[in-house]
Amino acid sequence: MAALPSPSDRREAARERVFTAASLVAAVALVATIALFLVQLLVTSRTSWATFGLPFLWHSEWNPVTEKFGALPMIVGTLVTGFGALLISTPFALGIAIFLADYAGKKVAEPIKYLIGLLGGLPSVIFGLWGLFVLVPIVSKFEVWFGKLVGSEALVASGTTGVGLLAAILLLAIMILPFSASLILEALLVVPTELKEGALALGATKWDTIQNVELPYVRKSTVGALVLSLGRALGETMAVTMVIGNGMKMPTTLFDPANTLASAIANQFLEATSPIYVGSLIQLALILFVIAIIINVLARVILRRGIQQ
Amino acid sequence: MKNRRHVSLLLTILLIVTLVASGCSPKGGSTTVKELSGAGATFPYPLYSKMFDTYASATGVRVNYNSIGSGGGIKALTDKTVDFGASDAFLTDQEEAAMGAPVLHIPTCIGAVVLSYNLDVTSALKLDGTVLAEIFLGKVVKWNDPAISALNPGVSLPDLAITVVHRSDGSGTTSIFTSYLAAVSPTWKSTVGAGKSVSWPTGIGGKGNDGVAGMISQTKGSIGYIELIYAVQSSMPFASLKNASGTFVTPSLASSAAAAAVSLPDDLRVMIVNSPGKDAYPISAFTWILVYKEQNYVGRTLAQVQALKKLLTWMLADGQSINEGLSYARLPAAAIQKAMVLVDSMTYGGSAIP
Repeated sequence: MAALPSPSDRREAARERVFTAASLVAAVALVATIALFLVQLLVTSRTSWATFGLPFLWHSEWNPVTEKFGALPMIVGTLVTGFGALLISTPFALGIAIFLADYAGKKVAEPIKYLIGLLGGLPSVIFGLWGLFVLVPIVSKFEVWFGKLVGSEALVASGTTGVGLLAAILLLAIMILPFSASLILEALLVVPTELKEGALALGATKWDTIQNVELPYVRKSTVGALVLSLGRALGETMAVTMVIGNGMKMPTTLFDPANTLASAIANQFLEATSPIYVGSLIQLALILFVIAIIINVLARVILRRGIQQ
Repeated sequence: MKNRRHVSLLLTILLIVTLVASGCSPKGGSTTVKELSGAGATFPYPLYSKMFDTYASATGVRVNYNSIGSGGGIKALTDKTVDFGASDAFLTDQEEAAMGAPVLHIPTCIGAVVLSYNLDVTSALKLDGTVLAEIFLGKVVKWNDPAISALNPGVSLPDLAITVVHRSDGSGTTSIFTSYLAAVSPTWKSTVGAGKSVSWPTGIGGKGNDGVAGMISQTKGSIGYIELIYAVQSSMPFASLKNASGTFVTPSLASSAAAAAVSLPDDLRVMIVNSPGKDAYPISAFTWILVYKEQNYVGRTLAQVQALKKLLTWMLADGQSINEGLSYARLPAAAIQKAMVLVDSMTYGGSAIP
């Protein structure tokens, strides 16, 4: 029955080829963009590499006047705020997702899901303003209270501002919550009903089922969701700038003003003129890029190990 | 059918991407004399946009000004993509060397930086340069410090920690303020220095004038520096400063203009902070438009250069009447005279522009 291909078949084949080519172009463009990013960052930061070399990573002085630059305070600020926010938001994200997937009825779950979506879609400058005018005064009160508790005169005295690492961590925790919660929820919703019903049929309680069936089933997507949220926290700029205090010195406590890589770049890039200053700022971007890659790779390694066990 | 939809969707996306990408490619140098372009400082942006608007209706020549920051303006002029740059700080020798050709600094107005604070006091706070530097160095840490009380007799100052607020972004305002501190305090000069962005010994940073103003209004016991216009517009309290001749001066258009009433160098590359004038407010500064002295570059036409010269001349003459309405101080006559000489010294192919 090997008939000649009909004209419609040929059209179909041509369409197929065009579609494949277009997809390929899109895919290659993505890879090329990332590669070009890396190349561009490396090329434009070469003055800084040449001057400071590797110690750029652990020097903590950032002085545009004498043109001595080191990235450590910003690296620390970025990691502390990112992981701190993840630490605080993860239990809430899990709780929200489990509640919505297993406990809440449709009438309750739908409006909450809608609100989560809304929270996730808010522009970060709005979070920043809210952080500055609502969250920061609360943190400031907490700071004074905490200072009195531990008997730290310095903390009570300097604790009137409220801006600093802690405010940034709390704000970021709220900002990434909608992402992690809705991603984990989506994963929980596709756990096969048979598995859940099987567990329940064996006499497991709801909590047993969640603990032994659902959570292991969604472990991979949960780690994925958390990595995505961490990525957002690390790269968040506007809101962080508004509450972190923008100190370029090494923070010693959670109440100190600090800075993140992204926020330092956003603040200083426009008025940076000397090549070494610009190069150092671009090198900060490069470090942020590398941190993002490392975290993604680590997440994959952890995942693979988890699955093998 | 489904496939076809996918294909057309993908092609549409690719088409959009291509269009956007091509839209981002650099423009050709086909500017006509109907249009001039500049880029730079954000501080004089309200003034420039009003000036250029007025100029366009008077002469029909449109001026596009992008307030992308002094750094961006200097870069755009170095790349020769604009007719003029604008900066709140004059070019350092290093920056001027990077331009590859002599650059003229044409001042357009005078701005003042004021110290705003959040403190329950009955009368306006009085400060002097030494105490101010000590505060920003983190050495004077309480409002009831004897050094501050001595300047404010009869004012009861609270036992409250001083929170220093500074700009977190690089800015001409910071450059003016730190130049002043460096002029009055040797310690500041040797440990911190002056620049658009410095390594602050203490305090918290806010982005932009609004960021600093927000932090100040938020924090009891704070003090920070903002532009005069911004303080006036948002009715924030500001301190009187003791100037070089020993008088306490309240920042205003008149007192910042008085700061320029000194003998100025011919190239007008000068910081007028800590001016010796009796009525001068000490943290005042010019803001400049930057142009190449030799205007025949990257195929610029004589007509275009003439249009630029006409614009600059107008800004120094009729344009000055716009300054005060927008809370920028006018240039004093002596500065205008020297600036005119600079504008006239622009050349096209080595000879004066007719």
